[in-house]
Amino acid sequence: MNAVVKPRSARLLGSRWLVIAVPYLWLLVFFAIPLAIAFKISFSQAAIAMPPYTPIVNWVDGHPSLDIHLKNYLYLVNDSLYVNAYLSSIKIAVISTILCLLIGYPMAYAIARMPAATRNIALMLVILPSWTSFLIRIYAWIGILKNNGLLNNFLLWTGLIDQPLAIMHTPVAVYIGIVYAYLPFMVLPLYANLVKLDLRLLEAASDLGAKPWKAFLKVTLPLSKSGIIAGSMLVMIPVVGEFVIPEMLGGPDTLMIGRILWQEFFNNRDWPVASAVSIVMLLLLIIPIMIFHRAQSREMEGRLA
Amino acid sequence: MSQNAKASRFSLILLALGFLFLYLPILILIVYSFNESKLVTVWAGFSTKWYAELFKDQQMIDAAVVSLKLAFATACAAVVLGTMAAMVMTRFRSFRGKTLFSALITAPLVMPEVITGLSMLLLFVSFADWFGIFEQRGVATMWVAHVTFTMAFVTVIISSRLSELDRSLEEAAMDLGANRLKVFFVITLPIIAPALLSGWLMAFTLSLDDLVISSFTSGPSSTTLPMKIFSSVRMGVSPKINALASLMIMLVSLAALVAWWSMWRSEKRRQRDMQLALQQN
Amino acid sequence: MNQSSQKATGSKPDKVKTDNYVRIEGLRKEFDGFVAVDDVSFSIRKGEIFALLGASGCGKSTLLRMLAGFERPTAGSILLDDEDIVGLAPFDRPINMMFQSYALFPHMSVEDNVAFGLKQDGMGKDEIQARVNEMLGLVQMGKLAKRKPHQLSGGQQQRVALARSLAKSPKLLLLDEPMGALDKKLRSQMQIELVNIVERLGVTCVMVTHDQEEAMTMAHRIAVMDAGRIRQLGTPDEIYEQPNCRFTAEFIGSVNLFEGRIEEDEKDYVTIRTPALEKPIYVGHGVTGYDGMSVAFAIRPEKIAISKDEPALSYNKVQGVIEEIAYFGSHSVYHVRLANGSKVLCNFVNLKRWASENFTWNDSVWLSWKDNAGVVLTS
Repeated sequence: MNAVVKPRSARLLGSRWLVIAVPYLWLLVFFAIPLAIAFKISFSQAAIAMPPYTPIVNWVDGHPSLDIHLKNYLYLVNDSLYVNAYLSSIKIAVISTILCLLIGYPMAYAIARMPAATRNIALMLVILPSWTSFLIRIYAWIGILKNNGLLNNFLLWTGLIDQPLAIMHTPVAVYIGIVYAYLPFMVLPLYANLVKLDLRLLEAASDLGAKPWKAFLKVTLPLSKSGIIAGSMLVMIPVVGEFVIPEMLGGPDTLMIGRILWQEFFNNRDWPVASAVSIVMLLLLIIPIMIFHRAQSREMEGRLA
Repeated sequence: MSQNAKASRFSLILLALGFLFLYLPILILIVYSFNESKLVTVWAGFSTKWYAELFKDQQMIDAAVVSLKLAFATACAAVVLGTMAAMVMTRFRSFRGKTLFSALITAPLVMPEVITGLSMLLLFVSFADWFGIFEQRGVATMWVAHVTFTMAFVTVIISSRLSELDRSLEEAAMDLGANRLKVFFVITLPIIAPALLSGWLMAFTLSLDDLVISSFTSGPSSTTLPMKIFSSVRMGVSPKINALASLMIMLVSLAALVAWWSMWRSEKRRQRDMQLALQQN
Repeated sequence: MNQSSQKATGSKPDKVKTDNYVRIEGLRKEFDGFVAVDDVSFSIRKGEIFALLGASGCGKSTLLRMLAGFERPTAGSILLDDEDIVGLAPFDRPINMMFQSYALFPHMSVEDNVAFGLKQDGMGKDEIQARVNEMLGLVQMGKLAKRKPHQLSGGQQQRVALARSLAKSPKLLLLDEPMGALDKKLRSQMQIELVNIVERLGVTCVMVTHDQEEAMTMAHRIAVMDAGRIRQLGTPDEIYEQPNCRFTAEFIGSVNLFEGRIEEDEKDYVTIRTPALEKPIYVGHGVTGYDGMSVAFAIRPEKIAISKDEPALSYNKVQGVIEEIAYFGSHSVYHVRLANGSKVLCNFVNLKRWASENFTWNDSVWLSWKDNAGVVLTS
């Protein structure tokens, strides 16, 4: 009776591997390998050639010989411009993250406590600006923040100041721009976490005598830890390499490494240095990225564990 | 408990201020797109001339068309790849290399765009050198780059929906005789369809809006809208951009309104059905 | 309800085959070192309703899922109608399951839900329609065929889930906590209906539950499970009246346990010396044991008689004080504290109106029982 009919599951084993292979290969080839290539080219030297860098491996009389230049990295380390740019980028990223957290947490909290119907509207209102062009919204801030822009005119008109505030092309403008652009990235993970909070825990805390602020500090805040981490990483890591905002709103003294990279690549046409800059940036971010990955994969695998 | 009320009022006020902060620039853009004068500081009367000028700008329109086509193609591919990745993350048991896969899937979410953009260009250049493909960079290379970085966002949206989905639905389908492939297409897919749409829209928007990655991976004849806007803005503030921005905002708001209204309606209908069922028993 | 188990079966080889319609041998499941199912072996008869009863974590759900094909056994075999099904995927097995959450496909109508399994078999459209109508008629859901699951009440959803799982005439039907999601009143009604339908179709059925009442009411035979093992397997009355160990005795219903030692061990009686009673307990049947063996005497509360005056027995009586009374209307349960401190539960049926008024708190009463009213447990 037990004929040699191969159970259908065996025949389909092939398709299971296909589902894994396609995205895996795509990401390996188009995400991981590019980083490896950037690493390789960071050891090369700029050249007037197509592509504009010297090859790493040269074939001399049929034998491969390595042509590695460490000078790009030495250049980065020795030139204070780069060191300052890295430090400044990290500083700006950390401060922006804190600002986003201070503004975004109460927003997420307020939305999470709303009744279901209003909640969805509020969420949509938070996401809506992100659906419109990021570039244009940053550009709007130029009109607001410049010396004869709306903000200054308004303040002058009300008499609060008698000289226009120089905000445009200063770090302040950059902070405003970053917080403006990245706020939804902080609010959404925080909201997703806070909305799952069981309100009965807070009721229990108050029943046991804790005042609302205490209950918040001892119950809500610790439980929202994963949301805080996710939101903070989603803001901090990309901001380190941010280009558009410092370029449009910042001045010559707002050093951010994203701008440096862009200039090295597009203006100086020095691909190897640009690669070195990106590799060092990556190394600086490797630990935050790992923290984020751990938090995310726990979220994603959820029920499977 | 007035303290509790005070606390919620405090957060509500902050929420309102937050919304004000988010929407003020947008409102200003819209208002000034109708300003007769070029200057932001002077209101010279209502005019739609900037909209007219916008539509006469052929380069702008060409760039918009390129962006829309690219975004559409990106979104379609990102949804397919993202759904596959989401299935692997939520439905497949551990396999060797799953940790690396999960790292590859989450890293693009936070990777600074300058790094992704630069490294992808270097890849294309190397490929041109080694295999002779991607010689000419253009929409194809941009598409590959866009799909790579938007895929991660789609995966997050869909895996979150998949992990909420009651497993017993898929098990029941298998129990009744459907193999895994059939279960996916006949049961899982229809049920998670809203999440797929959501993912598609997210990928579409991300692609449409992208400047940095596009700049690195584009070619001579493939200027996208953000690239065009960026170069225009560098040359000085132009009210045409206001008009463009306002158009985009109004279109998006309209779409969002329609989506919200239809969701509200189907939810009402669902509630009504459930009430009916309870009453009849 | 248990008529089918009393029907005579055919000739001997047929009987062996139907007695072992489902044969589970050495079935084992380990999760990362944790043993969920520990070398379980038993057989299920054809047409029988078999219950796996136990608390959460005892392994009954894991066992059920191995039958369905959603878990692969670490070791052991499952034979259904002489076919080893362990290597088969869930969609290849002639087994269907009714899930605890019903798992009705939300985007399909009732009709389409029931037809789903039939479509997978490639049945013709007309055949499918006829079969669907038949199944919906069986569960009295014919009128609601076009509705979607969210338009149905809990009880209605359960009927559809049942119809769907029976549509393919499976060799084995699995029920996962079938009444778990229903409220009490609906539960008793549905228990009877479900058993009637299953018996009418002659389907062999395995159900998993933590509710003893459900298992006792619905099943022909019950396997009481604990920590991955079967502690006792038998008919409901066998399990209730003849528990084989302390665990089973305490798990089903309520029981009084007197710990003690065998004093006299004879062929047709034993006496047990226990601290609770002055005189040893007299048990009117022999026990495989020896003098001095440590045992427990188990007696159900309803087998104990309560009286104000001392009964005219020489053995099996003890005096105590009523400490608590649990009044259930139809009967009362008296919690009686004995002289040595132990507590005995005694059920008293209120046969006469206001009969419970005879006994009240702090009354001194006599408890007594017949020689064969209890069992002796050696484990």
